Formats: sequence, C-alpha cells, structure tokens
Amino acid sequence: MKKNNLIKLTLLLVAAFMLSLPVQALAGKVYKLGLSLAITGPTSDAGHPYSQGVDDYFKFVNDTKMLGDDTIDCTIRDDQYKTDKTKQNFEDFLDQGIVFYLNYSTGSTLALKKDFEEEKMPVIPASFHAGNLIDSHYIFLPIASYSAQAIGLAEYVVKNHKGKTPKVAMFIHPSAFGRGPVEDLQKAVAAGLDMEIVEVVEHGKNLDNTAMLKRLVNKGVQYVISQTVQSPVATMLKDATSLGLKANSFGEEGKLTFLGCHYTGGNDLVALAGPAAENFYWTTSYIITNEPSPGATEQLALAKRYNRGEKAANSHNYANGMMVAQVATEVIKRTKAKGKEITKENLYDELQNMNGDNAFFPGTTVGPVTYSKTDHAGVDSLQLYVVKNGAFQSADKPFIPEYTSKIK
Amino acid sequence: MSYFFQLVVSGIVVGSIYALSGLGFVLIYKSSRVLNIAHGQIIAIGAFITYALTVWVGLPIYVSFPMSMIITFFLAMSVERVFLRRLIGEPIISVIMVTIGLMSILDGLIYLTPFGTENFSFPPFLPTTPIAIGGVSISWTQMLGVTVTFSLIAGFSWFFKKSTIGISMRAVSDDQLASMSIGISVPRVFGLAWAMAGLSAAAAGGIIGNITGLNFDTLQAFGIVVFPVVILGGLDSILGAVVAGIIMGLIQQFASGYLDGNWGLNGTGEVLPYIILLVILLFKPHGLFGIHEIERV
Repeated sequence: MKKNNLIKLTLLLVAAFMLSLPVQALAGKVYKLGLSLAITGPTSDAGHPYSQGVDDYFKFVNDTKMLGDDTIDCTIRDDQYKTDKTKQNFEDFLDQGIVFYLNYSTGSTLALKKDFEEEKMPVIPASFHAGNLIDSHYIFLPIASYSAQAIGLAEYVVKNHKGKTPKVAMFIHPSAFGRGPVEDLQKAVAAGLDMEIVEVVEHGKNLDNTAMLKRLVNKGVQYVISQTVQSPVATMLKDATSLGLKANSFGEEGKLTFLGCHYTGGNDLVALAGPAAENFYWTTSYIITNEPSPGATEQLALAKRYNRGEKAANSHNYANGMMVAQVATEVIKRTKAKGKEITKENLYDELQNMNGDNAFFPGTTVGPVTYSKTDHAGVDSLQLYVVKNGAFQSADKPFIPEYTSKIK
Repeated sequence: MSYFFQLVVSGIVVGSIYALSGLGFVLIYKSSRVLNIAHGQIIAIGAFITYALTVWVGLPIYVSFPMSMIITFFLAMSVERVFLRRLIGEPIISVIMVTIGLMSILDGLIYLTPFGTENFSFPPFLPTTPIAIGGVSISWTQMLGVTVTFSLIAGFSWFFKKSTIGISMRAVSDDQLASMSIGISVPRVFGLAWAMAGLSAAAAGGIIGNITGLNFDTLQAFGIVVFPVVILGGLDSILGAVVAGIIMGLIQQFASGYLDGNWGLNGTGEVLPYIILLVILLFKPHGLFGIHEIERV
C-alpha cells in the first residue's frame, strides 16, 4: 500500500514538473538592469524626473510586450549623489546579475570607471562629461558631451557676434562636472575658434553676484557660458536683470548674453528665475515638449499613461531618462533579433554596432543615436533653445559643433 | 568709485541676510547651549510654507510671509516639545546628535513633498526696476531682505534686553539651576527659543527663496553656509551675528570684486572668509562678541 502511494506521489510530481515546463517557457526571460542615481539629495531636481523617465519606459516595454514574453527588470536605487552609495548599489546590482547598467553623476562615473572595465559592463550615465570616455571602453554617453555643448554655444557666439573678437566668460560648477568642458573650449580657441575666454568663474553658494557681473562687464565680457545646474544660473540671471546688465537681444553691446549647457536649462530654470530667464540660450540634444514633434507626443503620452504630473512630463530630464531606457531596450531587442543570448558582452557589441544604417532614432532627441568602437558619444546633434515669453523655443536648426572633431 | 560703493552695498545686503539666517543658531544657543544642526531644513520649510500659502492657497504674499513665520514659530516649538524637551539636563552632545537625527527626519519629510525634488519661485510682487543712486543699484528684493533683517534683529535685541521673558531666557543661558531656583520655567524658555529661531528661519527662508528661487538643496545649505558667521560673531551674541554677517558679506564681495580674475585667482570670495575666520579665532576664540566664561574652582 505504502509502495503504491509512493509511486502515485512520484508520478504526480513528475506530471506537475512536466506541466510547469511550458509555463516557464511561456513566462519568458527576465533581463536585469540597474540604475543608481540621486532621487533625493543634491541634484535630485534632475535625478527624480530622470528616474521616472527610466521607470516609465521600462514599464511601457513590459506592459506592451515590446520584447515579446521577455521582460526588463530594472532596479532603481537612490544614491543621494554619494559615490560610495553608488558603488555599493553597483555591487549589489552585480550580485543580482545585471546585463546593463545606468549610472548618473560625473563623480561616480569617473570613480567607478575601473569597476566598469573590470566587470566589462556596458554603462550609460546621465553625465555627459567627455572625460568619462578617456581610458574607458564600456561607458557610452547618451548625447553630445558637455565639451561639445560648450563648444557649440561658443561657435554660435562667434557666428552671431557683431564687432571684434567676442569676449567670453565661463560660469562653472566647482566640480569635475563643471570643469569638464573648460579645457576643451580652450583647445577650440587655440585651434582657431575666434573668441577670447576672459575668465573662468567657479561659483559657490552665492546670494549675490554683483561683484562678479560688474567685474566681467568692466573687462568687456559680453557672453557668459554656464556649465552648472539651474539654481546658481537663476540667481545670476536675477542679479544681472536687477543691475540692468542682461542683454535684451543676442550680443547687445555693454551687456551680458547668457548661455548654458544641458543641466543649466529647461523648465526648471524658468521656474527658478521667472522673468529673468528671458533670452537665456540653452543647448541640449533633447527635444522639448513646448514644440510639437512625434518624440514630444510619445513623451507626454508615456508620462500620462503612468500618471506623472505636468512638471515631470515636460521635463527634459524625464526625456533624458526615457531616452537611455529606449537605447537599452533597443540593444536588447536587436540582440534578441539576431538570436543571441542577452548578456553584457553581446549588448556591448550591439551598442557598438549602432551606427550607419543601424543608427537609432528614439524621437526624444534631435538626432540619431550612433555608437561605434571609436565613438561612444550617442547623439552628436545639438539644438539651441532660447527663452521667449517664459518658455524655451528653438533658436536655430540642429547642428553638430565643428570644433569638437578639430580638437580630438 | 561707484564700483566700490556697489560692492559695499551688496556686501551689506548679503551680510544682513547671513545674519538673519544665523540668528536661529544664536537664539537657540543663547538659551540652551545647543547647536541646531537642522536649522537649514527649518529655513527651507519656512520658504516652502510661504510659497504654499501664496501660490496654492492664493493669499497675498504680504499675508503669507508673516503667516509662515507664525506657522514655523509653532512648528519649531512643537519640534522642541516632541524631540528635545526630554533631553533637558542630558549631555549637550546627546542633544546635538538628536538635532542631526532631526535633520534627517525633516529631509525625509521634505522629500515626500514636491518641494524636495522640484524647483519653484515666488510670483513677482516687487518692482523689477532696481533702486539706483549715483551708479549704485539695489534690487527691491534685496532692499526688502535688509529691511526685514534689521527689523527682526532690532526686535530680538529689544526682547532680550527689556522684556521679562527675554531676561529670563538670558538667565537660563547663564545658569539653568539658578534660574529654576527663582521660578523660571526652563522648559518653557527652551521652547520659546526654538520657536523664535523658527520664526527667524522662516523669514530668512522667504528672503533667500525670493533671491535664489525655491530649491531645497540651495535653501537648506544656508544652515551650513552661515555657520562661520555665527562662529565669528560669537555663538551667543545677536550683535555678533549682525557684525560677523556684514563682515563676511563685505569680504566676499571685495574678494570677488578685486581679487578674482586677477593674478590667476578664482573663488577667493568663497575661501577668504574662512581664512579670516581662522585668523580672528586665533586671537578671539569665543568669536568677536561671544561671552568668555571663566569657571572658578
């Protein structure tokens, strides 16, 4: 009797196991990704919408079965802009078996560069620092570097300035993030870009920029190119306005025209500076939702689908997060289509094939994403925007800075 | 010459805002010998309450600004009642550790609101054309900042010198046991000190927020930025906070105006105040106006 029961039980277990096999096969594979960023703490005004963009897009991929039955499981962790926490998160992600990693700050990207090399892990950070790519094989910038952005702004100044050689000052964050483009802009000037960099100002927590602004005007500076975050730029714009030093039109003589790279601008700058943001020139590779485009429609629809507020939906940092998720999804899709296994090695190879006819058009950027073995900067095109009537609008057509290639 | 005077005016404006921001430290330290590490968070909360009342509730800013000061007054009093009251008589280091914990709690609570990760600015309510006299200009926002700062500082100075409760607070600061023996309620004095610090922090938050825009990181950082000011002035001196604030403001502006950009120097406005602070503390370790206590054994 006991023997019979044992046989029945064994048969039942075998049957249950056999039945579970097709169910497991139907459930599809789960691809693990990780993102560590500042959802709280310094720069969380950028990190928070960025994380929402990443989260929403991967949810969208899974909900719409973009990868068939396979799904992406991206763990998003707050590192409060602290490199030690980022490292800890990255190590935890490795234990989870991630095949692709999304990082955030310049500091942590530089600090973890060796870890990425050792792990052979493809990484896309939210930092566009050109230095990320030096001695690195596994870091891919999503868009044009801060250096390219600053050079692009400088080229616009040179092309549109009337009179003698334009005098320019740089207003930068006191960190690797801020200092990133300084040397490259100096190289561009040395290579023939006809402008003079009069001063590079590293700002602090200034309540008043009167001394700096007056000093710059006294030295004949007409243009200030900023590479920092929105808050110090907003204070500077307010001070310049109250001192009557802000140009009302591009290059107005005796006054200052303000320009800035990706993290200086966007709707947050208008929110902080109010009317003082008028005529601020800003460059990035991302589209803006103020202007209709398929990418803007997709961005707004995604935010609406996952109940995001208006601020997040219209944030260029939401677009930023969404775009890196689009790139990660695309390489998984392409690797899968080739019948290859989804591993970090295969994703790395596929990323480097993203060029020529294989270039990727995510819609959230003003140009295609292209990577190769020698080029790890994604979108090369930049768009210049300017604040008019309290909102950013395109000031020109998308362009690729000429001097970026000349200084290589 | 107008450049020089412009720097003087800007230095005084910035310095007076530093003084107002540092006042909360002084008020709490003066009565309880406690350094409130969460002061920056209270500055930010005051600014956010003003914004919420102005934009979300729709009150005029001249109503919402004093209202936020009153709300923060009671909020800070509640914080003292809940977290710090039971620590009376405990070692000061324990109380300071609690304020560090309080900072984390307030950070966490603020991050639960849109203010933690979004940027805002007060709707414009002052004329945008600055006041200009002889080539020296000052914005209405700065003018308002200076006026509010000096009014509050004058009010607090009068309060500590003339009012009964103010004198009680000074007595508690001098000797808690002796104060209790003559019937002064030490817990009540501590609560009031925190409340007044909250009130001044809300005022500072409103003014700084109007200048920089409402960004949590920027606002809460002022709790640390003004620390050298209160150290230089003497932790228990209101006059010291004012004088040190203005000294710091002037040094920053002059360094930035005359040193930066010359001889390869940059960022001296950030560094020089600390160098001068160190030099002064070498000669006056209790700050410019701090009380040097001598204990007779």
